[in-house]
Amino acid sequence: MSASRGSPAQRERGARPERTRHLRERGPALRSIRPRRVLDLLRRVSEVLETVVDPEVAAWSVLVAYTAGEGLGFNRAFLLLADGDQLRGWFGVGPLTRDEAREVWAEMRQHGVLPLERLAEPDPRAVEAEQRRNAAVLVSLTHAAERGCGAWRRAFIGRSNHPNPCVRHWVSVLDSRELVVVPLMASGRPWGVVLADNFVTHAPIYHATLEAAETLAHYLRAALERTQLLRRFQEERRRRLVAEHATALLETARTLAHDLKNPLALAGGLARELMAASPASRETLLRQLGIAAAAISRAEQRVGELVDGLASRADGIAVEPVEVGALVDRVVEAFRTLASSRGVRLVCYHPARPLMASAVVRSLERCLENLVVNALEALRESGGEVHAAVREDGQWVRVEVADNGQPLPPALRPDPFAGGITTRRGGSGLGLASVRTLAEAMGAKVEYDEREPGWVRFTLFLRRWS
Amino acid sequence: MNGSRLLFVDDEEGFLELYRAAFSRDGYTVETTATIEGARDRVAQGGVDLVVLDIRLGEASGLALLREIKAKDSRLPVVLSTAYARYQDDFSSWLADAYIVKSSDLNELKQAVRRCLGKAR
Repeated sequence: MSASRGSPAQRERGARPERTRHLRERGPALRSIRPRRVLDLLRRVSEVLETVVDPEVAAWSVLVAYTAGEGLGFNRAFLLLADGDQLRGWFGVGPLTRDEAREVWAEMRQHGVLPLERLAEPDPRAVEAEQRRNAAVLVSLTHAAERGCGAWRRAFIGRSNHPNPCVRHWVSVLDSRELVVVPLMASGRPWGVVLADNFVTHAPIYHATLEAAETLAHYLRAALERTQLLRRFQEERRRRLVAEHATALLETARTLAHDLKNPLALAGGLARELMAASPASRETLLRQLGIAAAAISRAEQRVGELVDGLASRADGIAVEPVEVGALVDRVVEAFRTLASSRGVRLVCYHPARPLMASAVVRSLERCLENLVVNALEALRESGGEVHAAVREDGQWVRVEVADNGQPLPPALRPDPFAGGITTRRGGSGLGLASVRTLAEAMGAKVEYDEREPGWVRFTLFLRRWS
Repeated sequence: MNGSRLLFVDDEEGFLELYRAAFSRDGYTVETTATIEGARDRVAQGGVDLVVLDIRLGEASGLALLREIKAKDSRLPVVLSTAYARYQDDFSSWLADAYIVKSSDLNELKQAVRRCLGKAR
């Protein structure tokens, strides 16, 4: 996929025409990979996979390591995953044709692009685009897992005369002379398989490269299992939230029915009664009219309250007046020791007079904890300052958490609260997402800005309690 | 059935006013109370032919009073009248002789009262 940095190992070149052809093609796989480089690559990929929360990003990261010139240097690589009795093409990285390969590699060389450097900050849109780009090939690679696949133990090189029909199918689809097949097994059945080849350069595949490919594939499997589990957990959590919301909405509807039905039934009943028979006295008439008028006013008032409070009621959350300054003080104080140990100065500011906001104490505490942890993570290496401030802002009470640590990675900036993207800042990638979920459930909102140079600021906007 | 003594229990004074006007005109003797305690005392004194009972009585539950009344005198008819339809699924409400969802049209309640009094005799 990428260009080599241009340090060919001369002794690896040579004897056979196959070994020199790739030099003419100027593709990435120029030499047998050195043990130290393998270790460095494995460490690098392993670090990346530790923090990845998205299966597609995990697959992309490892396949980029397969295809990068400074990685294993394959021209292209694919991941197939077992799905029932089939091995289904799931992700691919690399050029689709030889012409495209030459064009892309030339461009990368010209701009000095090093794909491995992109691993630290994966762009989810680029990952998605790569998956889409390879979709047709991935469909073609899909094949029934034949019986022979169960016997695979180690990575091997497959050719067009391979006895296993799966391998012959893949070699044929990819028009590959030599195809690296890295099986991932589970209980004697294929769990998945990584395929890689040098279809443009025809560079030789060395034993050391094959071993490194095998290790990387196992890293990928572990990361996929972890990220798929995490995704299932998130999906389950989402389903539970939807169910809870539905229950809360039903409860709201019932309350609405009762709170409106009661006064309307009373007002209507009295009106009918007055129509059926004149009251004995003007005093009774006025009293009954007064009751009916009061009931109608009550219904009107209830409708207003319900409309105002519908969002928080729908989330099954009952907001209450919270003194924000005291709460922020308390949360920040809990982090003071940790901050000191990391050389971080923690500053908390709030007006002397109490500022009351509509919130849920536990949710607000959790939001602040996540934001402070996020700020401390950003200062983990460098030390610095975290400022927590409470300010009045019209109908809002603003709670700001700002730090002068590393800026947000570009991939996170469009929507830092989306979740599923991970960096050192933000840990699992779920902290900021849960801040937004919790904030919105309280009828609040959260924003991010880097308006002040050198500072990253997250601001919670809480509704003032009135 | 005219002349029967009805006890209405509702924490909203407006409904009690409405019941007094509507049922007195139909010839019933109407008594009202806004509290569980008032209802309990009045039923204990005797002479009540039917109770119309709201379920939500402030913090108290009309269903608890329903159980008490039926435990002491299972023949005394009790009509539940509430704005909540959902208590129909609550087995506690099945002890009642009728379950009416409050409406501006009292005809359904009046029919239920007549029917229950008829059965009781």
